[in-house]
Amino acid sequence: MPSEEMGKVSKRLRAAFALSSVVFVAVLAASPVRDYFREWKRYERSYVRFAQTRPDTRALLADFRFGIDQIWAPQLNVVDRCTTCHLGISEPTLQDVSVPQPFRAHPPIPHHVQDWGCVVCHRGQGLATEVTEAHETTLAWEQPLLPIRYIQASCGACHEDDLPETPQLSRGRELLTKFNCEGCHRLQGIERPAMIGPDLKNIGTKVSREWIYKWLKEPRTILDSQGNIAVNGYEYEETPRMPKFRLGEAELRDLSAYLSTLKSRAVEPYQFEARVVAAWQKRPDLVDRGELRFRQMFCTDCHALAVVRAGTTTMIGGDIGPELTKVGSKVNPDWLVRWLRDPQSYLPQSKMPRYEWSDEDLYTVTQYIEKRLVDPDFMSSIPKLGPATPSETQNGRLLFLEKGCASCHRITGIAPQQDFGPDLSALGGKSVSELYFGEAKVPHTLIAYIQAKIADPLKVNPAARMPQFNLNPADLDAITTALLSMKGTPTNPGFASLVAPSHHASFNVAGEFGQIYERYRCYVCHRFNGYGGTLAPDLSFEGSRAQRGWLLSYLKDPLTLRPTLTARMPQFNMTAEEANTAADYLELVMQSPLVNKASVSSKDFTAEIAALGKQLYEVKYQCQACHTIGSSGGYVGPALTNVGNWLNPAWIEAWLRNPQALIPDTIEPRHEFPESEIKALTAYLLTLKQTAPVSRRAGRASLRPAYAGSALRRGSGSSTSSATGGAK
Amino acid sequence: MRRFAPILALMFLGFVSACRKHGSASLTVPEPNRRESAPLPPDSLRSTYDTEQDWSNPDHVIPLNYEQSQGKRLFYAYCVWCHADSTPAGPSNRANLTPNPHLINDGTALNALSDQYMEDMIALGGSALGKSAMMPPYGKSLDRDQIRALIAYMRAVAQPPYQKPARPGPSYERR
Repeated sequence: MPSEEMGKVSKRLRAAFALSSVVFVAVLAASPVRDYFREWKRYERSYVRFAQTRPDTRALLADFRFGIDQIWAPQLNVVDRCTTCHLGISEPTLQDVSVPQPFRAHPPIPHHVQDWGCVVCHRGQGLATEVTEAHETTLAWEQPLLPIRYIQASCGACHEDDLPETPQLSRGRELLTKFNCEGCHRLQGIERPAMIGPDLKNIGTKVSREWIYKWLKEPRTILDSQGNIAVNGYEYEETPRMPKFRLGEAELRDLSAYLSTLKSRAVEPYQFEARVVAAWQKRPDLVDRGELRFRQMFCTDCHALAVVRAGTTTMIGGDIGPELTKVGSKVNPDWLVRWLRDPQSYLPQSKMPRYEWSDEDLYTVTQYIEKRLVDPDFMSSIPKLGPATPSETQNGRLLFLEKGCASCHRITGIAPQQDFGPDLSALGGKSVSELYFGEAKVPHTLIAYIQAKIADPLKVNPAARMPQFNLNPADLDAITTALLSMKGTPTNPGFASLVAPSHHASFNVAGEFGQIYERYRCYVCHRFNGYGGTLAPDLSFEGSRAQRGWLLSYLKDPLTLRPTLTARMPQFNMTAEEANTAADYLELVMQSPLVNKASVSSKDFTAEIAALGKQLYEVKYQCQACHTIGSSGGYVGPALTNVGNWLNPAWIEAWLRNPQALIPDTIEPRHEFPESEIKALTAYLLTLKQTAPVSRRAGRASLRPAYAGSALRRGSGSSTSSATGGAK
Repeated sequence: MRRFAPILALMFLGFVSACRKHGSASLTVPEPNRRESAPLPPDSLRSTYDTEQDWSNPDHVIPLNYEQSQGKRLFYAYCVWCHADSTPAGPSNRANLTPNPHLINDGTALNALSDQYMEDMIALGGSALGKSAMMPPYGKSLDRDQIRALIAYMRAVAQPPYQKPARPGPSYERR
């Protein structure tokens, strides 16, 4: 090769070399620059600048180091780098909302961020160092952050028992049980309840074919005089348990035909005493007496009635039993009488107590229900269906199985259909790619999927068998939270060991009291050692609390201790023998170890000490702010007018020492009185005795206006009873 | 090679200085959410933990964070009976008491009181602070976090709205 050519080539080569060097240097220069501007580094630098604007810069920067910061909890398999940017997460001075994110501190919660990391509760990707990858769904990392509205779902992943701090989650779980979702779906941590939908093997004796038709078409709807829907699942806070199945005309005819033929045991008409019926025929206005008895028996503790007041329809009453506004137009009169006398003979798991009826009361109350709780237009929109034909009946039976009715309702000869719907026990941990959205116009997220499925299943999947539940937005969010909490059995052994399983308390009583306990369904309202309802006071320590004589008279004739409560103990018309047995049992068995009756002697309570107690009560502590004596005082706590006859002295002392030790969620504050003041207050309280016991008649007369006045307020919610009931 | 050296140096300097300028210009504001690379989180993420309706204006819904919502729960369990005009059970005990207890959202009276004072009032009761003994002490039944949550809730619902003092003194936050 000639030397000039060599020179030319080397010149070109030199130029190419120079150019590639420039490119190389540029690339080399770009990478530290790119590195310098990485998102997390910019947040770290801006945190330093931010800290310098705060008065406590030194404290804020004490633990700060440049670089990726991570929380490592090996036993939980947690490596969360969120604290690389969320730098103020555990700085107590950065809690205010004015602090810009991502530097704001976490609000105080029972779990410390340093021990648990962030992803355990908030989801997202702990390893990511880019904002989008950490927070949202990306191709590689699917799990997005859990919106803060549903964050209680994360509590539920480990805490299978309800926590006071997570009302939304508890409500969601309650709704899942109430609607018997596990009738069709498998759900994590929810047991099949004892009471599912009504047993239908005898339904033909209870209601007409037309009523079944109407109910299947539009479950529990009340129309006002203009024909508008006044109370339905949307407007009444308690949604009907029965969902809407969107049945066609032919399906309604077939299904109603099939159900109306289910009469496994005929109803024998009950023979009232001739005297009672004769008295009625002379005095038709006795229907008012029936209404009075209906109210006095506090049927509305469990059953709601729609009442029109000031032009608006509201529901008053409880939600333990069905709503009864138009029950007179629904049920067969002979069936009603038999039901009231012995509910369990029709439906063994019914929560309704078996009252001891006098013929007179039974007759007047049934007359009231049949004459007043009716709607003449109730069936006007329903076509005359006539008797069921064999082909309709046969189609109806097939429909009953096809629609999954047997998942909730029992019929002799038809096996319950379990796993009729898909398994949902790990729904809360599913990623979006595992879900089928169909044509639904909703954002492709797990939450939008769950809510669309519940609100209108057909929009997501036109072939869905799932019925439609009318839920208000708060309940929809609650049920979504509960479903999101079900992430299946944890695969990580660290988490598996953390799961706090729910406690299934049960309280079974044998013997004579067992019969009373079952007959009057005490556990529907009262709680016994953690088992039972929350409507009425917990009776776990009733034997330590109440004196036997008071218990006995209360069981026979319950008078209220809390004048503002609308839910009261019904009068069961117990026999003296039953009341004795119940009082004996409560007295001997339901005891608290903190109350030692033998340690208190009535000789300690002299008149001088009691006078001192009165001073303490009225002046120093001003207990009258919350408690009533006679006709003056507050009504936050129970009335103390007759406390000397009601409470055991040892209970009063233990209560004054520490109320929460006896009833953990009582709102009575713990004062930590000195022992001398406890003695004095007890002595004073024991002097408070109602001398002449209120007669039954007088008691009732005074109850009635109180009830009528307070009934209006009952609509404010089911929390009523639990809040104040627990407050006892 | 020498001819290229100044060009290279210039390019490098220019590159670096341009970036510096860009960087320092945007980094002076301590609002990291404004950055293009860090978009605002979607609406659902910013939605609040819980809400409470303004008692005097049903259209006004007040957002609550976790602590405030715990305060709301405690308020409706312990305080509502005397510090509201209607309660979950119906009538309120408020009218029964003299002097009338303040409504929880009474900003006119309560905004002026410091967090420390409120904490003492709840924990020690009225008589300890020279007020009505009808306000019982809750310091033995509620823990400190619960009392703070109650105060946080009270501040959130206050009407007129509560303004945090411009410069918080060395009050309980630093203890």
